[in-house]
Amino acid sequence: MIMSEPILEMKNISKRFGSVVALDDVSLTVYPGEIRGLIGENGSGKSTISSIAAGMQKANEGQMIFKNKEWNPESMIDALTGGIGMVVQESGTIAGITVAENIFLAELKLFKNKFGLVDKKKLYEEAGKVLQEIGIKNVKASDLMGSLDFQERKLVEIAKVMMKKPDILVIDETSTALSHDGRTLMYGLIKRLKRENKSVIFISHDLEEITTVCDTLTVLRDGKLIRTFEKEEFDDDLIRTSMIGRELQGDYYRTDFEATSQEEVALEGKNINYGDKLKNVNISLHKGEIVGIGGLSTCGMHYLGEALFGALELDGGQVITESGKEIKSCHNAVSQKIGYVSKDRDTKSLCLEASIKDNIAVAGMNIFKNNAGMITEKNEKDYVQKQVNNLSIKCSDMNQLVSQLSGGNKQKVVFGKWIGCDSEILILDCPTRGVDIGVKQAMYQLMIKLKKQGKAILMISEELPELLGMSDRVLIMKDGEITKEFNRSKDLSEADVIGYMI
Amino acid sequence: MSKLKKFKNTQMLIATLPLVALIALFFIFCGVIQTYGYRLDIYLQIVFNEAVVLAVVATGAIFIYTLGTFDISLGASTLFAATLGVTVYNKTESLALMILVLFATGIACSLFNSVLASVFNIPAFVTTVAMMSVLSAIASQIITTDGGALGGISIPSSVVEPYSGIGFKAMLLIIYIAVCFYVFQLTKTGRRMKFIGGNPLCASLTGIKANKYTIIAFTMAGIGVGLGAFLTLTYTPSVTTQTASSIGMNIFIAIVFGGMPISGGPRSKIYAALVGGFSYMLLNDILEIVIDSSAAYGITQVISALFFMAVVYITSMNYRTQALPR
Repeated sequence: MIMSEPILEMKNISKRFGSVVALDDVSLTVYPGEIRGLIGENGSGKSTISSIAAGMQKANEGQMIFKNKEWNPESMIDALTGGIGMVVQESGTIAGITVAENIFLAELKLFKNKFGLVDKKKLYEEAGKVLQEIGIKNVKASDLMGSLDFQERKLVEIAKVMMKKPDILVIDETSTALSHDGRTLMYGLIKRLKRENKSVIFISHDLEEITTVCDTLTVLRDGKLIRTFEKEEFDDDLIRTSMIGRELQGDYYRTDFEATSQEEVALEGKNINYGDKLKNVNISLHKGEIVGIGGLSTCGMHYLGEALFGALELDGGQVITESGKEIKSCHNAVSQKIGYVSKDRDTKSLCLEASIKDNIAVAGMNIFKNNAGMITEKNEKDYVQKQVNNLSIKCSDMNQLVSQLSGGNKQKVVFGKWIGCDSEILILDCPTRGVDIGVKQAMYQLMIKLKKQGKAILMISEELPELLGMSDRVLIMKDGEITKEFNRSKDLSEADVIGYMI
Repeated sequence: MSKLKKFKNTQMLIATLPLVALIALFFIFCGVIQTYGYRLDIYLQIVFNEAVVLAVVATGAIFIYTLGTFDISLGASTLFAATLGVTVYNKTESLALMILVLFATGIACSLFNSVLASVFNIPAFVTTVAMMSVLSAIASQIITTDGGALGGISIPSSVVEPYSGIGFKAMLLIIYIAVCFYVFQLTKTGRRMKFIGGNPLCASLTGIKANKYTIIAFTMAGIGVGLGAFLTLTYTPSVTTQTASSIGMNIFIAIVFGGMPISGGPRSKIYAALVGGFSYMLLNDILEIVIDSSAAYGITQVISALFFMAVVYITSMNYRTQALPR
């Protein structure tokens, strides 16, 4: 790589959150035209270092130089105006307003007419151009943000940042929220920035993706910089070992290639209809079976998960459990021992301002209440500690706020919530989104263990390798319908499946 | 000392600040009373009688606030319940019936709000503002019609005399707080309410029925209103249009003084209203004694407001988001 003057120098950056050391004396240099990857386990400090550069928070110690000047942005807007924009891991948009208002949130005064009111027509026109500029076609500027799905919201967020033509774009674990089309669009933008001699800091847990996209790769572990790899030094095993501080041992996906399940049907969906999102969907899930649902992000699979959990008011059809009980609400579902892990973890699966204890205990109170029906501190602690230990949740203690945890540990808390209360059926929507390779492995092994215990698992995923690696059956959806079913087989490849998705 | 220990100690210190403030205000109050040469026992009784009503109504209100919503009509409900209670007593001369009416009215007013909020999905802010006006208007109509030139309605003081002692009121307060503590801390109900307040969508996807808990929360608040109305009558056995008029807003202040975020959720504390209610009344009475003139009423309010904001700033240090996903 031809080195020029660095565009960003972060020197000896340290950051603490209370007692937790998130970054310990980390130095990072980014050059113009460089695509710099950041990789590491959940909680390694990737998001923290990039968010400090992007003005989201301040370091406790250290110095930043950006374009040869001292760099101390007061806010993300300040940083974006100065030349560093960031697309955050979770939701970075506001639900109750339009796409256009989100894009021009801090600049609505530009659209004031002579009466001092916002000229909506002009606002929508300009926002439409911004969306078009980066190739977003399915979203209208006048759409309400809340009506968009997770991927579309992410794309709007990218557009909002790109509009400012940043010198450095930070993309924090965004690709797992995007389908094939969304990822293609994002990779195109990264290439364009590189051509324009601009830089990208790219955070991802997907080793294949990050080694393909990036020129250099910095590995962080426990808040410390472990090593920076140049492109020619990329070696998957070496990178993995640097990330987790040891060699990854044991199995990753299932090692058997036989579709196995018990005879009893744990959950059955019959002729499920929901607007144009789900059309006459029939599905059955057996005890001791992992059924994978794949497809493009907009194929309706996320709605199917919600429908089976009773979270949607269906236009037609029914969801029935083994005992013949119809699932008409989430309350029904939980009482029938069904657990649901949403793709939109922070919004739908966790109460961020509550502790790990509160989040895990809330679904299991019927299990640990005493004979008088009381919730005692001791029973609750014992119950939660068991989940924390079993799932190896990294935390200072169970009273730590969930908002302070990394993505992978948050997901473990969600798993703990549903496994702790003995859920017999688990509906997992993108269960490994934003989760590092070590946690992924732990989750896959957990799913295998649960399958062996006779639990029924429905795994919705946009990652084909994990669908093929874990499922007894893979159902492919397209335009709200199930278009193809594959049985587990050693010979089944991604190429066999993709054709039915597009 | 390790960083973790230091951090936890700081958190614990902030969490105990409301109690520390209450103790400090108590001693300041005693000092002020001594300095001005007033009788401490009399003034302490005054503070207790004022604060006990606020603490009781606000403790019930905590169930509503925990859900992330609020009810501004609780003061008007207290007035309305007291008005109906006095009216019923004057017609039947039955204390038992009066008490029954006080509680039934409090619960009915609250339930009406909860049905509008949970079944018809009307924001509680809207329904309770409307209810505040309606209940105040009806109570005023009854008071001015029945009270005539007296400007109020009343029951004979001998009726509530046996219940006007500090000991009896303290016992009622303790029983009510104990029941609320039990429901709030030791049952699924309280835990689920906190979760709804923290993230209603997640709560729903965890199988928690928000409507059910909204109705329970408003019922608990209604019981507080009924008890508050009874305690009001034991202090002054008459009702005017100004009775309990400030309670609606004072509940906000009491809850915040007690260290609970007004947005509710998992950091809600059942004792916040008790601590905050007494702190607020002590502060109020200190200022009224020190700034002893009607012209200075505005200054009292300004100082209260500044104190309020300082308390909010300090106590919120514990729950303001400090960390980001890493």
